[in-house]
Amino acid sequence: MPSGLKILNYTIMILSIGWKNVWRNKTRSLVVIVAVMLGIFSGIMATGIMQGWIEQRTYDSIHNEVAHIQIHNPDYLINEEIQYTIPDNDKVNKVLDTLQGVVAYSPRVKMFAMAKTSWAVSGFILKGIDPDREKLVSEVYKNMIEGNFFEDQHRTPSIVLGSKAADNLKLLNYQVTLEKLQTMDKDIYPQEIMMKIESIGSKRFRKEKDFRNALEEVFSKEEYKEFGDGLVKYFSFYRMNASVELTFQDRNGEIVHPVFKVRGIYKTNNSGFDGMYAFVDRESLNQFTGLKNNEVHEIAVIATDNEKAIPLTEKLEKYLPGQDVMSWRRLSPEIAMYTDFSNVIGYIYIVIILFALAFGIINTMLMSVLERLKELGMLMAIGMNKKRVFTLIMTESVFLTLTGAIIGMIFCGVILAILGKTGINFGMWAEGFEAIGYAAIVYPIVTWQNYIVITLLVIITGIVSSIWPARKALKLNPVDALRTE
Amino acid sequence: MKVIEIKNVEKIYNDSEVKVHAVNGVTLSFDEGEFVAIVGPSGSGKTTLLNMLGGLDHPTSGEIIIGGIHINALKGSKLIDFRLHNIGFVFQSYNLIPVLTAGENTEFVMQMQGVPRELRNKRVKELLSAVGLGDRLDSRPARLSGGQQQRVAVARALASKPKFILADEPTANLDSKSTENLLDIMEKLNEEEKITFIFSTHDARVMKKARRVITLEDGKILSDEIKA
Repeated sequence: MPSGLKILNYTIMILSIGWKNVWRNKTRSLVVIVAVMLGIFSGIMATGIMQGWIEQRTYDSIHNEVAHIQIHNPDYLINEEIQYTIPDNDKVNKVLDTLQGVVAYSPRVKMFAMAKTSWAVSGFILKGIDPDREKLVSEVYKNMIEGNFFEDQHRTPSIVLGSKAADNLKLLNYQVTLEKLQTMDKDIYPQEIMMKIESIGSKRFRKEKDFRNALEEVFSKEEYKEFGDGLVKYFSFYRMNASVELTFQDRNGEIVHPVFKVRGIYKTNNSGFDGMYAFVDRESLNQFTGLKNNEVHEIAVIATDNEKAIPLTEKLEKYLPGQDVMSWRRLSPEIAMYTDFSNVIGYIYIVIILFALAFGIINTMLMSVLERLKELGMLMAIGMNKKRVFTLIMTESVFLTLTGAIIGMIFCGVILAILGKTGINFGMWAEGFEAIGYAAIVYPIVTWQNYIVITLLVIITGIVSSIWPARKALKLNPVDALRTE
Repeated sequence: MKVIEIKNVEKIYNDSEVKVHAVNGVTLSFDEGEFVAIVGPSGSGKTTLLNMLGGLDHPTSGEIIIGGIHINALKGSKLIDFRLHNIGFVFQSYNLIPVLTAGENTEFVMQMQGVPRELRNKRVKELLSAVGLGDRLDSRPARLSGGQQQRVAVARALASKPKFILADEPTANLDSKSTENLLDIMEKLNEEEKITFIFSTHDARVMKKARRVITLEDGKILSDEIKA
């Protein structure tokens, strides 16, 4: 018989006996299988949640904040002053128009500005954009919570603020309006509560503290505790068309004070970004900056995907030697790090879980071997060599571990398919997450590569766990083993 | 034709104070097709001798030659391989693999030898029928009586067509009817397959069936009687 076929036959025999031996003691095997199943399930879920978060943060960072690539005048990065616009901007545009891999690009004027409303003063970075082109590289326009992103024409130029910047400028007001009263959920708010809310009247409150005081005056302690936070959120709104006086330095060094009207509020998952950036139409802004139309500080570029952006950056560096060209990996190094290490961190977590589970597996396999000393002695007596005995025990250990892992992975797959649509809501910690740029609802992500690596890790655990029990068996003297009761 | 030759074999166990001669200068030979019982009281050395014949233990001195091969010189996997292809074992406690059926237990050694499936299936059916268990191919040991399990063990020992079979107290755990049944089958197979059977036994019924009885005492051959 050809040796290949012999090996196949023998392998099938070992696999068959190994699998049957796993089920000799059903209870004991099931305990280990369930432990492995739960361990793998929790490991994959944790990995999925982490990867989902990192994926979301990476996407938001690129599509709301930094884009795939940014081009600047090298001097601008040292001193962010108005005169350091991108040299040879027309040439840059030509290259971007013709280079393969560039999906879209948006020119931006950028400057720091102080902002003043009738109620507060704050500062942020002003981005002067071409709205239609900006929509091709940034998804801020999809995150509007009030107003719109430069949809309409107005006499007074428009400004779009982040929600945090609007909060800082005290643009968030509170008012019990008839419209909102009519759309309140009657199942949540009983008639008595509705009447108390109405009694507050239609006064506009500029401070949250004042509105809360008004609620406390009409509600009992318990009622306020139950409904207070929800009502504060429900009756809040941003003042549209409020005037914001901006102060910044123009091209000639003069301080200018143009007034813009708030026509849109956006809110992303990153409250830091929302507080830092405001958008105005570039043409409107340049009436005050003195910059020409082809004078910009920054060009944001979108490539076909995150990976392709890197070689595209290198190409642009070659074609635009006088410019500073940075990929998202340099613009957001922490995001690049998270992306690179998210897999590794997940696997480290799973290795730790498997390491802990290995002790249980070793214990079970040891018991299984010690119970079968006579049988193993017999096998060696009738001609099963040590390599085969070791293979048999290792096969049992791998089957035990793999069975639990496969069930855990299937179970996880089902849960992830559901959570992939609904997401996991960490709403209780929403504010904290948003402060560091993470969404409160996370959609776990687990790739098929993750499953393959985890399967391999499980098999390795099974093999390693079998070493000590197998050594016990290999040290057996068949004569002594056969004498065992 | 001599299947086994034992030349002046000794097995000495070195206790801390006392040396024990478990087998003390035994010289024997066995031919093809013999049906031999090795008898003697406990401590006579019969199990030790059988273990050395089966390659499970090494003599302290002397030679054991099986099929022309000096098995003393074999070690490790070579010795295990030799056992696989040349020696069949029947144990006192049957020692079947509990998770395998009667058929699977019988073909187990042939699988290790790499015998093709068709040949294995044919031999398994032949042997289990020969031992009267043709209809119990798919039964696991837990569903077989002691006598039936021992018959499966005999079938397993024979399946690989060894040069000889060593049976260490094969009837010790069986009732009289099962013992008689088993011995009849072994005798029949011995005649049909021409495979040497060597028993280590206290059982008078085995001694009665055997055509040659070797009596050991204190590790030495007391008598070696061939029945007419």
